[in-house]
This record gives sequence, structure tokens and C-alpha cells, in this order.
Amino acid sequence: MSEYILDNSNSGIGVSAEPAAVECIGLGLTLRKKSILHDVTFNIPRGSLTGLLGPNGAGKSSLLRIIAGLADPDTGSVEIFGKPAGAKRLGELSLLPDRSSLPGWLSVREWLNFAAGIYPDWDPAKAQELQAKLSVSAEAVISTLSRGEEARLQLLTCLSRKAPLIILDEPFTGVDLISRERIASAVVAELADGARTFLIATHDIREMELLFDRLILIGGGTIRSVDEVDTLRRSGKSVESHYREVFA
Amino acid sequence: MDQPFELLPEPFQINPSLPIYEQFVEAIQGRIVSGQIPSGSRLPSVRELAAGRGVNPTTIARTYQELERIGLIVTYRGQGTFVTRDETAIGGARKVMMRRAIQDFKAAAAKLGITAEQLLEFDKEDSNE
Repeated sequence: MSEYILDNSNSGIGVSAEPAAVECIGLGLTLRKKSILHDVTFNIPRGSLTGLLGPNGAGKSSLLRIIAGLADPDTGSVEIFGKPAGAKRLGELSLLPDRSSLPGWLSVREWLNFAAGIYPDWDPAKAQELQAKLSVSAEAVISTLSRGEEARLQLLTCLSRKAPLIILDEPFTGVDLISRERIASAVVAELADGARTFLIATHDIREMELLFDRLILIGGGTIRSVDEVDTLRRSGKSVESHYREVFA
Repeated sequence: MDQPFELLPEPFQINPSLPIYEQFVEAIQGRIVSGQIPSGSRLPSVRELAAGRGVNPTTIARTYQELERIGLIVTYRGQGTFVTRDETAIGGARKVMMRRAIQDFKAAAAKLGITAEQLLEFDKEDSNE
């Protein structure tokens, strides 16, 4: 108990002295005359494990790219720990993109050595621990990995950094069930050893719903609801049933 | 010394439509009261249990907080969290659970249009046949 401080300021929407991990205000994005995001406003308290859920084409990946500072919105602003999002914040967040971007010609070991060189916040002990936990073999060449193995390597890369904000975009796409369970428990174990904040976009509601403490539903480029998961459960709803209600 | 025990039944079916920490509190409470988890046992850390059950660590922290409030577990700084050795606290929790069981039993009888006594009487006759 003493190792884990229950901080109620993380579970409420109330005013907290600390700036939120992520604060989006009035985000709008239009691509080729098509509205991708419209007036997207929400915040994510520090230490929260927030699920970003919505149907395909809802704007999740665009939103995550803007939060990560890889794309600019047409309107509105994003703050990461109280400072404007952008290239300067890259050291404070670790993003797992929705499409693999790992160099296929490298072995896992070569890639991890490379990653250790490019990320100043790389934690070699954590990388080793996660390699064992996620059973990623060091000798394999990346292009020969199965989708599940590659997804685990991506997660390992993402979580071996000390960045206080972790953003995972569909970490389970094409991953078999066993890998999903391994990934889910790795995510939890990771969260539990610090005050890190997770933002996870996923379609796998059932695998993930017990992990989330906060839920953001996005559809057609607008925020459809922001809820504390415990509040939903108090009214007899699960993450899944709430999702069905909102998008029915 | 530490005896092997499961803090929660295996497998434990979680209902995602109800607060999860309440389900954990209920299950662990029952296992302490019934002696399946011996008094003085050391509980797993919040991190360990959260990872093992695939739930948010806040859920486990809240579970432990509630069990501590009831008096069934105690935390010693730097040593960990343990099931209480205080039999009065365990007895108290047992009474609360017994009262609830009686209420449920009475409700089940009322649903059949009889009293709890009549239902017990029926059981006696039924097992003598």
C-alpha cells in the first residue's frame, strides 16, 4: 500500500495544482476539404490510464499525431504537462505509432542498440526486463518477425524510455490473444511503478476495459463523451456497453 | 511464516458493469473470514496484483484501502500489507457478512411466498426423506 499512493486528484475532473498530462482545447483539422477533427476539447490527468475509443475513421490517429507534436492542428492548442505540444516535447512522450516503422533489415539486438543511442531517456535495464517479459528474441531479424512479435518489439521500444507520457495507437492490431494478454499485463506493470500517464487508442475494448480509469469516445472527428470508468460502473455500465450506447 | 494462498479465487470472473474494487473487496473479505487466507498472511503488492489480474493499479489500491478501513488488513511501513491477526476485526467482518447472507436468504424465501423458517423446515424434511 505504502508504495502506491492513491491520488484522488487523478480520478476527478476537479482543479488540480499540477497541469494535466495532456490538455486539448478546441482542436480542429481539415484535410482536402474534409473535416477530420472538430472542436476537440479534453484533458488527461497525470497518472491516468485513458482509453481513446471510436470507430474506424473517427480521427484517433490524427488526434494522437497532433498530441505527439508530429502534426499541427488548423485551430486550437495542445499542451503537454503545461507546455505547448511540438518537437520540443518529444523527450516527454513516447509514441507507439499505428503502423510499424521498425527497420526490417536489423536484428532485434541491433535495433535496441540503435534505439539506446537515439533516445536520451532510454533505460537499458527496463529494456532487458521487458525483452524477457514480452519474450522477444534478440537474434531475430525484424523482417522475419510475426505481427505479434513485431508488435511486442514496438511496445518494448516504446516502454523502455523513461518518458512520463506514453501514447499507444492500436497496440494490438493483428496480434494474437496470448500476445495481447502479455502486452496488457506489461502495460499495467509499467504504469504501476511510477506516475506515468498512458493514452491508448484501441479497438480491443474487452481486453483493455479493466485497465482504463478514464474513457474518451471520439466519433466523426468530435468528442462524444469523456467519463471516469468508475462512474460508468456505478451506474451499471461497462466500458463496452457505454461504447455501444454512444455509437448505436 | 508465509503459507501459499490465492488472494482471489482462480479463475475470478470480473463483472465489468460494476465497480471492480467492490468485487475484489467482497471476494477477499470472504476468503479471510472463512480462513482460506490465514491471518497474518502477507498480501501481494499493488503492482503485482494489478499486473496479475490485468486491472488498473488504482483498482487494487482502492481495494486495499477499503479492506484496511474494515480492519481486515494492516500496512506496516516498509514491510508490506498483511491480513490482520486481530480476531475481533475478523469476527466483526464475519458478522456483517452473516447478516447479509440472512437478508439474502429471507429475500429468497419471501420470493417464494414463505418465511425463512418455513424454508429451513422444508430443508429438514426434504433431507430426511
